[in-house]
Amino acid sequence: MAHVTNNNDENATDGNKSGQNQETEIPSIPQVITASKPKAKKAPELPVNERRNWLIHLHYVQKDFETCKVLIKEQLTESGGMCEYAVYVQALIHRQEGKIQESLELFQTCTLLNPNSGENLKQVARSLFLLARHKAAIDVYNEASNINTKDWEISHNLGVCYMYLRDRAKAKECFKQAIDIRRHDVSYVMLGKLFLLEGDLNSAVDICKNAVEFYPESPDLLTTLGLLYMQVGQYQKAFENLGNALTFNPQHTKAIMAAGSMMQGHCDWDVALTKYRIAAVNTPENPSLWNNIGMCFFGKKKYVAAISCLKRANYLAPFDWKILYNLGLVHLSMQQFASAFHFLSAAINFKPKMAQLFMLLAVALTNLEDPDNAKQAYEQAISLDNKDPSIPLNFAVLLYNNGDRRASSKYLSIFTQNIKSVSNVDQELLDMASKLGPLLHVGDNLVWKDNNKERHSSASMANKPDLVAAPFTRPTTSSAVETDIPSTPDILTETILPSDLLMGTSSDTASTKLSRTQTDMSEFPEVSDMHLSKPTTLDPLPKIESGKPSQLPILEQSSKNVPASTDLKRSPISDL
Amino acid sequence: MTASEMTSKWLDAYHDPVASLYTFTQCLTLADIQADGDWKLIIADLGTGSYDMKLKVYKNTNLMSEHAIIDLPTGVVNFYMDTLEPRTPAIAVASGPYIYIYKNLRPYFKFTLPPLSINQIEQELWEQAKHDNINVFVLRDALEGLRSDGQLLTVRSLKFLQLESTDLEPFANLHKHAPLKRQTVITCLDTLKKSLADEDAISCLVVGTENRAIYILDPEAFTVLTTVDLPSIPVFISVNGLYDVEYRLVVSCRNGCIYTLKRGSKEGSKYCIELNSQPVGMERINKTIYVGCMDETLQCYSSKGKKLWTIKLPNSITTMKTLDYSPRQLKTLLVALSNNEIRMYKDKYLVDIIKTEGIVTGLQFGRFGREDGTLVMTTRGGGLFVKILKRSAKFEEKDALAGPPISQNQKINIPKKTKLFVDQTLRERQNAVAMHRTFQRDLYLLRLNTARQYVKALDNSMNPISSDPTEPLKLSAQIQGIGPTFKLTVNLQNTSLSQPTSNLIITFNYDDKLYSFRNKFIEAPMLVPGLNYSFETFIDCLNEKGVSDNVKVYVLKCGRSVPIITGVISMPVTVAVAVAVA
Repeated sequence: MAHVTNNNDENATDGNKSGQNQETEIPSIPQVITASKPKAKKAPELPVNERRNWLIHLHYVQKDFETCKVLIKEQLTESGGMCEYAVYVQALIHRQEGKIQESLELFQTCTLLNPNSGENLKQVARSLFLLARHKAAIDVYNEASNINTKDWEISHNLGVCYMYLRDRAKAKECFKQAIDIRRHDVSYVMLGKLFLLEGDLNSAVDICKNAVEFYPESPDLLTTLGLLYMQVGQYQKAFENLGNALTFNPQHTKAIMAAGSMMQGHCDWDVALTKYRIAAVNTPENPSLWNNIGMCFFGKKKYVAAISCLKRANYLAPFDWKILYNLGLVHLSMQQFASAFHFLSAAINFKPKMAQLFMLLAVALTNLEDPDNAKQAYEQAISLDNKDPSIPLNFAVLLYNNGDRRASSKYLSIFTQNIKSVSNVDQELLDMASKLGPLLHVGDNLVWKDNNKERHSSASMANKPDLVAAPFTRPTTSSAVETDIPSTPDILTETILPSDLLMGTSSDTASTKLSRTQTDMSEFPEVSDMHLSKPTTLDPLPKIESGKPSQLPILEQSSKNVPASTDLKRSPISDL
Repeated sequence: MTASEMTSKWLDAYHDPVASLYTFTQCLTLADIQADGDWKLIIADLGTGSYDMKLKVYKNTNLMSEHAIIDLPTGVVNFYMDTLEPRTPAIAVASGPYIYIYKNLRPYFKFTLPPLSINQIEQELWEQAKHDNINVFVLRDALEGLRSDGQLLTVRSLKFLQLESTDLEPFANLHKHAPLKRQTVITCLDTLKKSLADEDAISCLVVGTENRAIYILDPEAFTVLTTVDLPSIPVFISVNGLYDVEYRLVVSCRNGCIYTLKRGSKEGSKYCIELNSQPVGMERINKTIYVGCMDETLQCYSSKGKKLWTIKLPNSITTMKTLDYSPRQLKTLLVALSNNEIRMYKDKYLVDIIKTEGIVTGLQFGRFGREDGTLVMTTRGGGLFVKILKRSAKFEEKDALAGPPISQNQKINIPKKTKLFVDQTLRERQNAVAMHRTFQRDLYLLRLNTARQYVKALDNSMNPISSDPTEPLKLSAQIQGIGPTFKLTVNLQNTSLSQPTSNLIITFNYDDKLYSFRNKFIEAPMLVPGLNYSFETFIDCLNEKGVSDNVKVYVLKCGRSVPIITGVISMPVTVAVAVAVA
């Protein structure tokens, strides 16, 4: 008692009438006994139920849950379970430990103890939400919003609930309301996602812009905005935003991947590689990263390194068709046609509607001296995509080499039609066409024989070998250079995708990508199905494969690729 | 920065891992309480958490005095409450609803928070009870009604409502004569200079309470100067300015919001920062607010509530404190983490890491003894550590964040390829066509072979799923045990949708020199669709040389010679024997 001061001593003397005898908080303190001695009527001080709330809170935020639980238990015994905050924190701890059902029950106890608290109702709703009972959660949130009007959290979470219930109109309304109340970046992000789900890219961009204005230094938001700009095709702005994101956080993997893939689009292999170094330290097991690194090396003509990286990517994500596509491409340019065939056919298993894959497969088959199947593959490719000029051209070359000049010139004319609709045509394609054109109009027999001779002698007339080389150089460049820019919009769909350089053609529209976003989750099961069926479907084109052995005599003739490949032989292998 | 370089900025001054202190940042303060230029460390120790609470004063590293505190101390501050010479500051200890003021290490005054208003009806009810106008049961029902209406009642009423009906009478008799009162609890405590900004100017006490209010107390008369109501319960307060001129209180609350209060504002919901996670610490340096959150982030806001940046920390935060080292004009933020580190941030740049022994829960920086830059740390395990900032220490505002990260200069770890790989590549290049053809041919052969085997299996009913459409059955078998006796469990399931199967027999085919089945013939009951039936038998292994063989399980239908299903089990080697052989 000694410390309770001079004037308190006065209190003690007149304590029983003044009722100020508050120093006796705990009955066990000796002071209380002395104070209650004079008259039995003196009532003991009752401890306040909330007296240890601050301590419970402090331990809770310091994540010292064990001590916290002990304190809560003591507090609840002392107050007979009437201490609302103790129950509340206990429920929070349960939630942290993953016991959602228990936490829900405790929060419900809290609402019984204090029916006027919106906070308690919010937590009940949150637990219901975590238990995926969205409808019930919405009801409770609505109840809570009667108590706490203008609460950002309620509006935002209602929005999330509606989103899960696929009521997008209402969800949008809720998020907008939430943003009106308080401009939280989470709400912006969710609203942006919602617009993306609806395919309304421009609104998504606007929302992100607003968010960035309010949080100018948030790398996440900047990256999201950059990726959105990529999707709508504004690459300049996309790059600006990604660059900003990287100034605020140079370690931001997502931004690095997106910016890197854009650099690759501009053939800045070395710059992209330096950026990827950072990402490689942060996320060493990111398949897209290794895919992109691999394609950088490919761009730098370091084929062995490219194959190493791509194989690692493939190891990390065995079901990603883009990696398989790239592997096929690299192997084609390494003239490992048998391997290329396997990678491409695996890719086709995952992505059976992609014309470019069939074209590459056809190129591989041509080089594997299986022109019948190659033709079928070309036909399949053209039936899937009749816009891409490279397919008919490559087909025309194949047909020409096999002596079918009529069909060849037919596809050449398809090619000339197709280039008219394409804005920027690769020069290499035009060169090839201009070489093929005159050849097709020269007298039949003469040229054909000539060619045959030249092939064997590999003489001065360079026409023929060039033509032959074309079918495979063409795809490499076309897919490596042209198509990787359109591919990048894919990034948003899965966080890692930015990488996948060589994905589709420009016809891969935003809407198709968006549908992928939606099915983000469902992608996995799909993949596992593939896994099951994989052993039996190594060759994607059962039709093509049939009846191959009988073709041997024809194939003999066209063993002409060898001379053309000499230049490739040197560089790649000594690379490492 | 290497570890030794980091630690070299601090000198170890005191080291006591077993000081058995239970305290927090807000219960630590450094003050020149004897006005002799020798600053003391004052620690309010929570003791065991229920008793043995003490106010401890350390002179240098020795415990100078100890004073018992009756209830858990919430916070300790030192402040000048008068203009008397010598300038000795008072110590204020907040505990429960009281603030105990000490001067010259002697108890000086006790301030009690103003009691809260009591519900009128409740007051009247107890008044009536006092005069025995109503009996206890009526009282209880009336109080219960009030409570379920959501009215805030006094502790006495709440306790009363929990009692058994036999205990009501004595409780009421004991308590009814004392005046009814409703009290609150202090949750945080800070000081605010009154009219002068001098170091030894008179300060007001700023008190946050459990009833969502902030009181500013006059230091001389101990009256409440200002009361501000908050939307939630305050947890941390940061104060600056002068009471008589202009001041700003930044208060973080239990609802995860931070409110900014100015002079004259009566309620705090105007400027508000909503956090995504509960704050663990909040400090204000100049015009920016630093908040450490439970989600392992350190966030920085402008005083207007605009988020400036967020840093993700490697571990969860336990406490935070500003380091204000005036000789060097150094103002940084100390953040204690649960991985036994204290990180020092200047703006968003990490400038130093201090390794500690144990998780730091109490941090205080300031003058201690005669040394200006002293860092006092208490740990969760009860340790007390003191470090002194070296005068030569330099904190460069350089960080990994500025300039390219180190990782940019690290080489990408590209998997190496061997000579064999290159050789294989060359081989493939030369023989691609042949390889492809061979592969395709073998693949067809493999498929053909598989198909043949499958047909054969179908013909012999060797498959574990019945091919007979009239008897759709599924068989699985398990072997348990390590031998020489095994338990064989045969599971049968009727996979048809509606049709039950009956008249089934299970029997086995095995080498009788190797195994002996205790039950060679099992008659299956009628199988209801969808259910799983299991049948068990024991098998004894007769061979002692660690030989094992296949055992076949046949499911037969009465009257048919070909089994419906066959299961082949490859028996494990008897472990006991195998060990003996080995």
